[in-house]
Order: sequence, then structure tokens, then C-alpha cells
Amino acid sequence: MHNFETPLIGVSQTIIKTRELIAHVANTGLNIVITGESGVGKEVVAQNLYYSSSRNGKPFVKVNCAALPDGLLESELFGYERGAFTGADKKRRGKFELANGGVLFLDEIGDMSILLQAKLLHVLQSGEFAPLGSETDRQTDTWVIAATNRSLNQEIKNGTFRKDLYYRLNTINIHLSPLRTRREDIPFLIEFFVDAYNERFKLNPPYKADRETIEKLVAHHWPGNVRELQNILQRVMVMGDFDAICKEFEDEPEPDPEASQQVNSEKPSSEPAASGKPDLASFSLKKIKKKAADKAEKEAITYVLAETNWNRSKASKILKISYKTLLYKISELEIKP
Amino acid sequence: MGDQKKLLIIDDDAEILAALDNYLRKKNYNVAIAANGLDGLKLLELEPNGFDLIITDLVMPSISGVAIISIAKKKFPKIPIIAITGWGEHPEALAAEADADLVMEKPFELSVLESKITEILSGKK
Repeated sequence: MHNFETPLIGVSQTIIKTRELIAHVANTGLNIVITGESGVGKEVVAQNLYYSSSRNGKPFVKVNCAALPDGLLESELFGYERGAFTGADKKRRGKFELANGGVLFLDEIGDMSILLQAKLLHVLQSGEFAPLGSETDRQTDTWVIAATNRSLNQEIKNGTFRKDLYYRLNTINIHLSPLRTRREDIPFLIEFFVDAYNERFKLNPPYKADRETIEKLVAHHWPGNVRELQNILQRVMVMGDFDAICKEFEDEPEPDPEASQQVNSEKPSSEPAASGKPDLASFSLKKIKKKAADKAEKEAITYVLAETNWNRSKASKILKISYKTLLYKISELEIKP
Repeated sequence: MGDQKKLLIIDDDAEILAALDNYLRKKNYNVAIAANGLDGLKLLELEPNGFDLIITDLVMPSISGVAIISIAKKKFPKIPIIAITGWGEHPEALAAEADADLVMEKPFELSVLESKITEILSGKK
């Protein structure tokens, strides 16, 4: 699904700086790498670069480098001539050709194979490419914007990303920090998406987020970033199950290293007050509630998984939780077949 | 004072920036400094009479020296540019990307840099 013409929303330093960067570099045509966690809005930045540039109105072509196996990705990018390989009964234009004059957005560039990286580097250096099975090179005037949630520096160290391609692409780097580090943006994002979904779902009366809801959403740590916020808002607005969502939030531990250590160190003594006498120093109603709830949840999930033969998709439907939540619970509660 | 040459120095390493600023001021240059690529670009765009020379680090977050050089060369093709790279920054791969008039590898003697500046500026005039 495209969120075309989504503006960059927020008031945090990250967003302000990113807007400023976009304004300064959109017309340079220099290669750009956008980095940041999944769901943080890398494609929105790419689109904003495109809209702010003189290429606005020309093609904006997106390729997800992680979605296709190597050979397919190659023909996707460069196209092929008729008879280039068995089954190539028609000539097919590649994305480089389709994006000519415009923008080619290479998402998940960190997942591209070393072999294709070499071919991409050649195109970036020469401005020419050859479709599979073609003997002549074609000129291309394509602005390449790449994105990744991986650390390309680490990939270079691992030998899975070419250093020369990195320097060619990473002329300009735009990094978007995770949503949990810029919570001040959350109310603005909520307002924007609530308006958008009210319109899209034709809600009557229109949904309006109350203060308590906004506070809870601001406090959440958003491992899935803005995309997760979008999904949650859609759920709240269409299905109205905010209480269930709040429960899911409570059950997810904060990624904070100290907090996760605590959770781990508690694991061995998961039975509440096994010795019979609760230790008053660590007595907490909240913890007891959590432990009891964990135990009940574990039993229920184990039962449903056994009944469905560990079909997690079926089990999540029966349990009325999302597939992702189920996977998370299986690992957190250490449920094993 | 009218004959003072205007230099723009861009480096995200505060110590190097301060050292270059100090040294070149003493050598009677008019020095503007920027601690990152974006600020460097802004100074470049704002300076009404243009700079006589730009010195930029190559490896910087967000807008790299390679980008600075490319943008500056397009907008102000006459301004000469000296690129400096740190050790361990794969200067060969970077220098290949950078269209600088001169690439200098750190560490270098400040006096060597100054003589290069004089050389480039006299060649241009």
C-alpha cells in the first residue's frame, strides 16, 4: 500500500533536521542511503526527496531487494531481451529503464547479493546498463535512493557489502531514529493518521483519540515504529479494541537493557512464592498479577497450539491475538512443542 | 584586509577544525568553519561574494565531503577544493569518489597544507 504524498510528520530534532536535509539535497541528484529501523518511515523520506526535486512528476519506481531471489532481482532491475533465457518469450523492461528520468528506490539494499552489487555499482559509475541477453548498453538517468535497516558498515566488515558501492551510494546518509527516541512526534502522528483513517473508512461519527489514549500511545515503546502505530490506530478505529491493545502493550517488556535483565533474572523462580513465604522485599502486587497471568496464558496458548498442531496462524485466530503477538508470547513464555 | 582570502573549512572533528581555524587565521586568512556538512552547505550558499577555497573532510555523517564537493563544484565550479581524509578511512575508495582538486591524508603538517593553499590560490589567480 502506498502512502504517497505523506509528509514527514513531527516536531523532534530528527524530523526537523531531516526536513532541512531534504530541502538541501533533493536537487543534487546525489545518491542517498536512508537508514533506520523497520517501520520508521524510510520510504516516506524517499518520497519527500522525490517530491522536493525537479524529478517530481517523473516515475518513482520502488524495488524491494529482499523480496526477490537473486536471478529474478537482476531481471527486475535490468530487464531482458526476448530469448535471453528459456521462457523469455517477450522482451521485458527493467526498473532502471522504467525509472529513467525519475527515481529508483532500492529498499532493503543490505539484502542484495554481492554479485548484483557489482552490477549496480557498474550502472552507478557508468550511467549505463545492459538488459540480460542484450549486447548493447543503454544510458540511464536514474536517481538512486537506497534504504536499509541494516548497518552497512557491519555488512562491509562481514564481507557481505561492497565497500566501493557503499561509498558510491552513501554520499548522503539520512538516518531516522526509532519512534521511541522521539516520543514528542507521536501526538502529531496520531492526529495525522486519525484524520486520514476517518476519511478512508468513512467513520461516522469520526473517531477522536481522547487524552488517555494518546498518553498510552505516547508511552508505548513501538518496536515496529510508525508502521506499528498506523496498524494500532486502524485497529482502534475500526474494531475499537483499545483495551485489548493496552493489555498487549503491558505484556510486552520494555527493550531497556536493565528491564530485560530483570525479566531474565526472574525467570528461574517463575512460581510465585514457591517457598511458601513471600519475600516481602520483592513483594509487589503487580509482579504477582503478571506471574499469574503469564502462567494462565502459557497454559491456554500451549493448549490451543497442541489442538491446532502448532498451526500458529490458526492458533492466533482462536486466541484472538495477532500472529506477531502469538510468536512473541511463544518465545517470551518459552512455550515448546 | 581587503586582500584576505576567504576559506571555508568543514570537518566534524572539533579538534581538527579548531586547529585549522587557529593556524590559518594566524596566517591572515578569513576563515569560516562548519562542524558538519549541512552547516557547510548553508555557509556556502549564504556567503555573498563566495569563498576562495574550500577545505573539507571526506567522512562525515549525513552530508559527506564527497557530496559537499559535488554540490560545490556544480554551483561554484571555480572554487578550488582540498579534501582531507582520516587514516583508516579507505582513502583510495573515497578519493576515487571525490572530485577534489587535491586530496590530503591525515595526519599532515599544517605548514604543508598552507603551502598547498598558497599554491592553489596563486594558480587560480
